[in-house]
Amino acid sequence: MTFVEKVCVLGAGSTKYGKLADSIADLTTQASVSAIENAGIDPKEIKASYISNVFGVADKQVHIGPVLMSRLGIPDKPSLTIESACGSGSVSFREAFANVAAGFYDCLLVTGVEKVTHTGTEWTTTYFAYCSDFFYEGQAGASFPGLFATMARAYLTEFKATEEDFARVAVKNHENGILNPKAHMQKKITVEDVMKSPVVASPLKLYDCCPFSDGASSVILCSEKFAKENGGDYIEVIGSGRGGSSAALQGREHLTTIPSTKIAAEAAYKMAGVTPKDIDFAEVHDCFTIAEIIDTEDLGFFEKGKGVVAVREGRTRLNSDISINPSGGLKSKGHPIGATGVGQIVEVFDQLTGNAGQRTVKDAKIGLTHNFGATGASCAVHVFQSV
Amino acid sequence: MSVEEQLVETAKQGKLLTHKCTNCGYLHLSTAYYCLKCGSKGFEDVILEGTGTIATYTIITVAPAGFEKYTPYAFVVLQLDNTHLRISGFMAGITTPADLPIGTKAKITGFDDRGIVVEKQ
Repeated sequence: MTFVEKVCVLGAGSTKYGKLADSIADLTTQASVSAIENAGIDPKEIKASYISNVFGVADKQVHIGPVLMSRLGIPDKPSLTIESACGSGSVSFREAFANVAAGFYDCLLVTGVEKVTHTGTEWTTTYFAYCSDFFYEGQAGASFPGLFATMARAYLTEFKATEEDFARVAVKNHENGILNPKAHMQKKITVEDVMKSPVVASPLKLYDCCPFSDGASSVILCSEKFAKENGGDYIEVIGSGRGGSSAALQGREHLTTIPSTKIAAEAAYKMAGVTPKDIDFAEVHDCFTIAEIIDTEDLGFFEKGKGVVAVREGRTRLNSDISINPSGGLKSKGHPIGATGVGQIVEVFDQLTGNAGQRTVKDAKIGLTHNFGATGASCAVHVFQSV
Repeated sequence: MSVEEQLVETAKQGKLLTHKCTNCGYLHLSTAYYCLKCGSKGFEDVILEGTGTIATYTIITVAPAGFEKYTPYAFVVLQLDNTHLRISGFMAGITTPADLPIGTKAKITGFDDRGIVVEKQ
């Protein structure tokens, strides 16, 4: 593959994640403005925007792009909304990446947003179930915790793992989230707290699950030439990969691996010319504790069945062997589903430009983001390098 | 009848409609329109008895809308006998993991507002 342009992230910003009062249009604009100001560019330099969002209808606003562009003073510039369930943010970023790499645009705005908490737990659970292969899964009463719980049960059956091991993922991500002022759940928890929390879908308990969150994240994506001429600190996007899996879990050969992650990672590593050993830290899709364990195996950081050992031995904690989810991950930072994939890139930008504060991964040069939709039916992986 | 309606009508009889590729013989759930293995489009109907073993499952206590009245219930993935195929379904009356060890024999018994209904055999 030959690209016309090297692609860079020039600026990044997020709202706080949590239960927020502001409207979806307001959140979208706040995150976008913070990225524009962080990049130090004039909004009129933005040639188009890519918006990732899933449940705009729940806050009475779909077609968010033109609303955002109007508020930014550039109503004449095109926008596009992309939906790929919980993986919308990274898929949107990927489309923007491809357009800059191909030379169609030199500066793009990528913003992800979600606003759902006002609908309550029952309706949020219901809306999320619409992201499954509904005819087979949602229609038979599957919730998202339920689908990941079936993977967790399969993992417990296939490998030497315990529910306490799953709990350690939550404890570790909350340790990191406490250091992130934008995180939804800034609270220290113990393995015992997780084990005693109410069962949502066995074997997963409340503290094995990420929260429903509102929030928005935004990045400015541009050509290297544009970055050098117009901005301050930037990082380079060196790898981008996408993949797919059977929409329903029943259609996959193995129930303890996510094929789309492997496909996306292989493509991203190949483009970047790196191997899993070269990755200093990764923001991975830990919508449930079991997901992070499976992700770290599918991304090639650990052998199949050994991700759980790594967690037990503390090898994925901040500044250990490989820092997994220094931001706190979906589990602690929160999961506004349309924003999550963009939020991971905001974290990588902050880490690689020296703005991650107390949660800084020491001497980090290469960071990876991994974000999927539903139970990994869609996935995108990106690799970034400091300049 | 649409493909989905045909599958539902068969499930109501406690059976599962599947599609066998007329070119390579690979078996699919009947919602497949092209063969996963060879990409061809011709299929013949094969009706399975809907029997199998539990591959994995969860017991759901926080349910989506419409399912609150059934909690706790199991969402199961059934490995169908004598094929590589699996099918998802709803199973009532499961309250603890002791009620449903992996490998338990089970069968499709119907289809209603809970989707495909599976019962222990």
